[in-house]
Amino acid sequence: MIRYECLEFLAPRITDQLVVTSLSGQRIEWAHLSKHEGNLMVGMLGCALGVGIGLALALPHRRVIVLESDGSVLLSLFNLPTLANLGCPNLAVFVFDNQVYSGSRISVPTATAGRTDLEAMARGAGIECAVTVRDLGAFKREASAALSGNEARFVVCKVEESLLHREIPRSTIDLAENKYRFVRYVERTEGRPNPFVGRG
Amino acid sequence: MDAELAKRLVDGLREAGISFITYLPETRLSQILPLIREDPSFQLIPVSSEAEAVTIAAGAVLGGKQAACYLESTGLYVASYSLLVMGKQLGIPMLLVVGFLGDFADQRNHFLYATIGSGTVPLLDGLGIQHRLLEDGLDLGARIKDAVRTMNALRSPVALLFSGEFTR
Repeated sequence: MIRYECLEFLAPRITDQLVVTSLSGQRIEWAHLSKHEGNLMVGMLGCALGVGIGLALALPHRRVIVLESDGSVLLSLFNLPTLANLGCPNLAVFVFDNQVYSGSRISVPTATAGRTDLEAMARGAGIECAVTVRDLGAFKREASAALSGNEARFVVCKVEESLLHREIPRSTIDLAENKYRFVRYVERTEGRPNPFVGRG
Repeated sequence: MDAELAKRLVDGLREAGISFITYLPETRLSQILPLIREDPSFQLIPVSSEAEAVTIAAGAVLGGKQAACYLESTGLYVASYSLLVMGKQLGIPMLLVVGFLGDFADQRNHFLYATIGSGTVPLLDGLGIQHRLLEDGLDLGARIKDAVRTMNALRSPVALLFSGEFTR
């Protein structure tokens, strides 16, 4: 299974869910596959899951999807017990675990290439619905459940390292532009203004 | 911190429009926690690291909340990466309510804290985060409102450093 084919399945199924992506090739692939205004393309490792938890808490009636990577989750493991104890039934996390720091350009292995099991870590932290999927069929079942479910899900997606994202033209939308587009989308769909966004 | 000052601090946060607070407990300002927990105006979110206090608050801000992170000055070092990339690079406003352990006026200062305290202001300056030192409760509500107005205007975290009377 490669990450792109998972994202290709997920992208057309997004309706009013809010989607937060971590920094990795998936950010480029997702921006290419989805033009959804509710996409927040966080450009840093170790932040997407925390941002997703905050969104899920602030908007408990909205479904929030977080697209993470193994390297990013390993950088922010403190999120796991926090998520477990807060509950966040409207949050689904997909960790695309390719077992390498692909950005290193020399495929330096992450801890998940060794003895570390992110599903077991999530379960140990107290996240009850934590699973690992290893083929596209299983991913599709989990993704379908995650889009409309009412429990926190933590889905580790074991994928092959793929360099497809290096062939995809990068989005021309910068971080600030994406932030404002996302916030305006939330304002419009929630029917209330965000306190920090200027009104000219 | 005495009970009356804790109440005024919490009243100030509410009146400034703060409705979402992430925290890792500390020693100087902890009397505010039961007051916030009992007040339905606030969502109070316990976290495991100050780094995620910032990212979770950032998510809440993007979802329409006005957020604060309550932490001690040591936590600013832990959170510095999150403050830089979410607070400054992405431009997300949030109020940092900081128990200023290790400050000159910290009434419980000690060799365990002084080095941390002496680096706190340079750290905030290095991150480009505006800050104000509060050593007493004079005009507390107005000073909190000033900080919230500033953070929204700057689209940036802003820190209130609580020392002196707040650290008794």
